[in-house]
Amino acid sequence: MDEEAIMYLAMCGVAPLIAIAQLGQFGSGIYTYIIILLVGLLIGFLLIMTFADYVVFPLITGMLDITFQPYKNYKITRSQDAVVKNVNGLYYATGFVTANLFSYVFKAEKLEEDTELKRIEAPESWEKVIMSIPFSFKYHVLSVGLSVQTVRDELEGKRGYQEYQMSRALQSAKANDMVIADIQRKLNVIQARIDSIGKGEKPIASLMYIETTAVGVSEKQALDQLSAQVKQLQISMSAMDVQLLRVVGRELYTLFKFGFGLPTTYAQVATNFGVEK
Amino acid sequence: MLGFIAFFAASVFMVLIVSSIPTALLPSGFKILLLIIAFFIDAVAISTRFYSYLITPLIKQRKRHIVLSNEDAYWLSVSGDAILHREGEQYVATVYIKIPIYVSATEMTPEEKLEFTSQMAKLLSVGDTPTRYTTQIHIMNKDSYIDTLRNMMNSSENEEAKMMSSNASQKDLERVKGKVSMWHHIMDNASSTLSLEQVTYAAISSIGSKEFEAVSGVQQKAREAMSGISAVLGVTPSVMTGESILRFVEPEYLIPYSTVSEQISKSMREEVL
Repeated sequence: MDEEAIMYLAMCGVAPLIAIAQLGQFGSGIYTYIIILLVGLLIGFLLIMTFADYVVFPLITGMLDITFQPYKNYKITRSQDAVVKNVNGLYYATGFVTANLFSYVFKAEKLEEDTELKRIEAPESWEKVIMSIPFSFKYHVLSVGLSVQTVRDELEGKRGYQEYQMSRALQSAKANDMVIADIQRKLNVIQARIDSIGKGEKPIASLMYIETTAVGVSEKQALDQLSAQVKQLQISMSAMDVQLLRVVGRELYTLFKFGFGLPTTYAQVATNFGVEK
Repeated sequence: MLGFIAFFAASVFMVLIVSSIPTALLPSGFKILLLIIAFFIDAVAISTRFYSYLITPLIKQRKRHIVLSNEDAYWLSVSGDAILHREGEQYVATVYIKIPIYVSATEMTPEEKLEFTSQMAKLLSVGDTPTRYTTQIHIMNKDSYIDTLRNMMNSSENEEAKMMSSNASQKDLERVKGKVSMWHHIMDNASSTLSLEQVTYAAISSIGSKEFEAVSGVQQKAREAMSGISAVLGVTPSVMTGESILRFVEPEYLIPYSTVSEQISKSMREEVL
């Protein structure tokens, strides 16, 4: 959870906290239980909005049948998982899927051994995936070059913290092998990244996603076809060890807008998405 | 942020007021009703963190179809090499750079494959500006080919109709019938399978308070990106101009109209039969 989320959650938590502190002022008996229930519901909503906002808004717009027109000729569906465009009576539905290729770039413990084989296999796997998909799609990688010194300092800070955790775990009377192995793995990952920067590899932050478009003579047909395409992508791309999740809500809107204008700074990318560094 | 502060302050203020009024003046039932409203405002406040773009128009328009913008999403720059998009008071210019990669993994040795993957990894770290690299698979545009086939088919059918009405010889009639059948057959073949095309490109944007400022900024960034791409991959990238940009932006260019409508009508015919 980032600082901004903590700030929003803390500020919005003030109102229910006041209500709990002043519980006696609202009446007694059944009223007390009603207030506690309301506070519980509000806190639940605040937590969902902080950790999984993509669940709530599509649910609300879906239930109330609310659609949006982001620009002329475009429509975001009520489930907020597709953008539809009507051209000459044909409906073009576009959806987005996250597609982070973790294993190729980010999560290697021993850079040389772990990634070399995968890097050799990658072009062929990619071609096989491409050939198995019989519809149009776009694989996007939005990358931003980062400052070498900043990233190095950040990684060294993280390594220091993990080393502290390791020394605590080793000194503890109830030293758990699983915990020690996990910390060691994290240390290896951080060290591998420091080593790769040391070898001259420039650190980047990246956001990877797939955009696919389906066509139909009605909106429903296009949306059904889109869902089928998303499923097909999830099956085909699984061979590449990719995490594939359908994008909904505000992220769909932002990715759709990326089609017409990209962010120009790293901060703009990081505001809307959890990027991989 | 202003919206959040307004909603947050309103909810806290309401809760404080409601809780400070004695029950003798305001019955508990009313207090709970007001508290529900205050909590609703609090819920709206946290929602503005990510959804202010929806909440404000939703409150203003109070309709089921909310119009966020009635304008076109983008327009082509005067220079023809960038698309422009308005974001608040700023203009965002975006350039598309085609990267011609014509290699296949099937023709590579393991060393070449490793080298190729490393090149791709290096490509991602070219420059400090956010750059989007895309591999696009789209349906090949066979619209003009299909239109030509349709014209040939129609003229052959007209020829056949004329011959039948003018009592032409059986030999000539058979020849024209064969021609019609041939065009039908070619048309069926052309529309029965979709031909896919792969293209790789990079997109890069720049903002400016004036259109020309954004465009000149992105042109500069594009030149830098192109020299980086060229150095890493050893290819000659080119900036896309005019209508060719639409292929990367508009969904109908991914799936061309005639190509697809022919296939849809064919599948519908098959379903009916």
